[in-house]
Amino acid sequence: MLVLQILIDGFAISTLYALGALGFTLIFGVSGVLNLAHGGLLVVSAMIAYYVGTRLGLGAYIGAGAGILAGIVTAMATYLLIVRPIQRSRVIPARERELFVLTGTLLWGVMLQEMLSYIFTDTPITVKPLLPGIVDFLGVTTPANEFITAAISWVVLGCLWLLVNRTKMGKQLLAASINPRGLTLLGFELSRIYLLVWIIYGVLAGIAGILLGSFLGTSSEFIPALTGSAFSIVVLGGLGSVSGTLFAAYVIGYIETLTAYLVSPSLRNVPALVLLILVLYIRPQGLLGRR
Amino acid sequence: MNNGAPCLEVTGLTKRFGGLVAVKGIDMNLHRGEILGLIGPNGSGKSTVMKLIMGIERPNEGSIRLNDLELAGKPTHQIARAGIGIVFQHSRPLHRQTVLENILLGLLPDRLTSLIPDQTAIDQARSIGERCGLGDVLNRLPASLPFADLRRMEMAKAIARDPQVVLVDEPFAGLTSSEVKTFAALIETFRDEGRAVLLVDHNVKSVAAMVDRVLAMYLGEKIAEGSAADVIADPTVRRVYLGGGLEVFYGKAQALENIDLIVHEREFVSIVGLNGAGKTTLFNAISGLIPARGSITWQGDVRGKQTPAAIARAGIVQCPETRELFGDMSVRENLDLGGQHQSKADSAERLEWLLNLFPILKSRAGQAARTLSGGEQQMLAIARALMMRPKLLILDEPTLGLAPVILGQLSDALTILRDTTDITVLLGEQNVTFALPHADRVYVLEHGRIIWQGPPDRFADEAGAAYL
Amino acid sequence: MKKFFSSKPFILTIGTLAIASLLPFGVSDYILGVLTTAFYFAVFSMSWDLLFGYAGEVNFGPTFLIGLGAYGAGMADSLLNLPVPVCILIGALAAVIGGVALAIPALRLTGPYLGLITLVAVLLLQQVIVIFAGVTGGEIGLSMPDVLSVNSAPNYEYALAFMTVSGAILFAISRSNFGLILQAAGQDPIAARALGFNITKHKIAAFAISALFSGLSGALLVFYLGTASVNAVVDIAIGVRVIIAAVLGGRRTIIGGAIGAIFLIVAGEILRPLGQLSTLVVAIMALIVIMVSPDGLLGMLRARRTT
Repeated sequence: MLVLQILIDGFAISTLYALGALGFTLIFGVSGVLNLAHGGLLVVSAMIAYYVGTRLGLGAYIGAGAGILAGIVTAMATYLLIVRPIQRSRVIPARERELFVLTGTLLWGVMLQEMLSYIFTDTPITVKPLLPGIVDFLGVTTPANEFITAAISWVVLGCLWLLVNRTKMGKQLLAASINPRGLTLLGFELSRIYLLVWIIYGVLAGIAGILLGSFLGTSSEFIPALTGSAFSIVVLGGLGSVSGTLFAAYVIGYIETLTAYLVSPSLRNVPALVLLILVLYIRPQGLLGRR
Repeated sequence: MNNGAPCLEVTGLTKRFGGLVAVKGIDMNLHRGEILGLIGPNGSGKSTVMKLIMGIERPNEGSIRLNDLELAGKPTHQIARAGIGIVFQHSRPLHRQTVLENILLGLLPDRLTSLIPDQTAIDQARSIGERCGLGDVLNRLPASLPFADLRRMEMAKAIARDPQVVLVDEPFAGLTSSEVKTFAALIETFRDEGRAVLLVDHNVKSVAAMVDRVLAMYLGEKIAEGSAADVIADPTVRRVYLGGGLEVFYGKAQALENIDLIVHEREFVSIVGLNGAGKTTLFNAISGLIPARGSITWQGDVRGKQTPAAIARAGIVQCPETRELFGDMSVRENLDLGGQHQSKADSAERLEWLLNLFPILKSRAGQAARTLSGGEQQMLAIARALMMRPKLLILDEPTLGLAPVILGQLSDALTILRDTTDITVLLGEQNVTFALPHADRVYVLEHGRIIWQGPPDRFADEAGAAYL
Repeated sequence: MKKFFSSKPFILTIGTLAIASLLPFGVSDYILGVLTTAFYFAVFSMSWDLLFGYAGEVNFGPTFLIGLGAYGAGMADSLLNLPVPVCILIGALAAVIGGVALAIPALRLTGPYLGLITLVAVLLLQQVIVIFAGVTGGEIGLSMPDVLSVNSAPNYEYALAFMTVSGAILFAISRSNFGLILQAAGQDPIAARALGFNITKHKIAAFAISALFSGLSGALLVFYLGTASVNAVVDIAIGVRVIIAAVLGGRRTIIGGAIGAIFLIVAGEILRPLGQLSTLVVAIMALIVIMVSPDGLLGMLRARRTT
């Protein structure tokens, strides 16, 4: 029974991690930006979903819609107010832009956190699950929401895969991540592509944030930790590698679940952190990273 | 000149990167008071040899001896202390310190406990700076200096520790003709002081006037050694020396001066010039990738401010020397991206036509672009540009680093293109034998200026002598 | 050198410090308390700037070093009952060992990878503190049997003196030959090696020096606060503040770190009537400053002087 329980819980949490980190890796892969306000995007979406769905009583579905919209708006704000002005700034030397994007998004994360705790609350809340209730699966009782979360995450991952590999737009995104200059030479406006990828990022972060909020609960205080988790997963998998991110999410998800069940819930983060340090020492390019 | 034992003695130097052998058993001697030119096209391994001597890369085999002291495998800083200095082509100076402080850096001891530079070191730095022609700018910040002075500063740093051997990477890239003369004179003073100087460059021509000997490399091996005249006359060198690389010097170097260039509709114009002559810069200016003064008229209208992508969509399509392929995408995907601006039917028709022009791409359609050979990648890059249905196709150094047999195929493809379509082509080449046969008109570019223009049949008589 | 001691910024700094040392005669204990904390933060930021601004190492986890110093000193006091100066030295030593341990990956990794290692180091330290709650006080924190002083004026003067001395030493190091070599290594490591410098040695030394001052300051801070807790000296949010302070004040200046840290903490206090919004406003101000003037507050001052 315990084995099955670990398998189910581990699967759900890993899938959620994968979805949560995917936007982070996508935006790095395509536009080279490490968004240190990533956790902020997740929590804003969850908070809005909670507020609209529970506090205003409009139900889980409208709440989720509002949450995704909030994710898109926040992603656009991150890009248009923070990232793009820094990238286009004339006063910031070119080789220091990366650092300024890091510092800028870091500050933006702090701002999001403070705005959320001011407008809403800083105590943890839980987003209304799309499907309430408990399911008995082969003798293991599990919240239905856990299955829904995993299912939605996989559907979203699948859609993203289709988008990238089966559409013209996806090809452009892929090409931009490999060689932006080449894409310019073929007559594609990079500025348009970046705008597009930030919108996709907003949708991904919105969905991930809402699912996280219904599964684990959320709070403005979680923002730095969420950014840290996403960063760790993405680096473990190899910066910019989508398949690496998925793989790393499952590695970390299962290690954490195993540790929580078999050792102690209070130690659940430790083995993953040690693994991360080991990987960085031995294979700095990440588990599936190239180079 | 070759009196006594060599001061730097390299034997059997070999370096492998994975499966690629970049340097194969190179032997080389360098005497005090001698300037040796190490030349070779891009990818010939000459830069790797320089890095191996400096310890930036570790050799797999072979020995590097400086006055009987074995240096191979030692860390860079020890090699520098043993008496070898290097002038990098691109390096980042300390930008918040003055020129004097930058030179002083080269004189500091490698100790954690040394806090304040002593006065003799400061005086020494000043005199080195003055000798290198920096006397008037010693108290300025590097950012305020022209490109040539930055190069002088790098020279000053390299000789600060009074090295016996000085390695100079591309000594004249990005300099104007008058600057070249003063730099050559400066490097000759290094020789006269009894140092051994190794100049690393693409072409014999640029260093021929000042070197005592030349060593030519190709694909990691030595192919000729001797006086500049001997090496130029060497049949192997002449055969190999078709390709060549092009380093563009962005940033400080003024790459172009008052270029007037006209390309008529359906014309094939070749721009011939050595490395660093300014071809790529010119093309990038036309493509809107870098800012430039002056005006560009396209189809009767003076072009306003447009993004590079809009310029490409308007019909000026560049196939850059760096190819800029999407390495992890398949050949087919690379081509499809070029056709995305057209309707599906147009794009498919164009694709079929191109696959007939470059049949090899058809058999490689599903392969990732980065797994193609150099020649196939070049064909893909050209084909991808042609997918855009350009009115003007800019080809920048398409022959770069390609084997002669591939050149033939490329040449055939260009002939077909000329004969069967309305396309206008602007070709930038270092390789004259490739550039001339197709051209209606030829421009020769040198140090950012057009020094000759005319029909190809007059090139050999009027401009050819200055070339190779 | 003489020119430096008679230069305007130097005289201005000495003047400011002299006025600052007289504050206990005129202002409330509350303000002194705020400034005391700010001074310790100033040392955190200046130490970070030595690593980032000079050696070019992106350390996202300054609180790893600070926390080692704080907890090293705290545990030496609460478990071993050693005299306070000895405890502080033990804390500093722990931080230096941590600094050298961080230097080893830093020699192999660059950019975001090193950034993540330093971040993970903080998370691990946090976990270790929670796991060994028996000796570290866990999430509640470690309360210290001894404090530097129970009065705010001496505490303030200690902090001011410590910041002044640390700042002077760090500034001197940054302007020394060693600082010049560090900058060269940060700018272009290959070129610096080719000029004959053993970069490894210099970078390890930079980590050790940065760790020494971070650790000392962390140790002094907990002896001032009377407790060592994760929230006060280890949390990532604290590290973020240290970094923002250094960038806000002006990178690559050392002194900018102090200006930024004091500005952040004092601005936070002045805006306290805004309640929860104060941090938001400070963050917005910091963002505007770095976007308008990438060289920070010090850069703004300098620009005004030259125009």
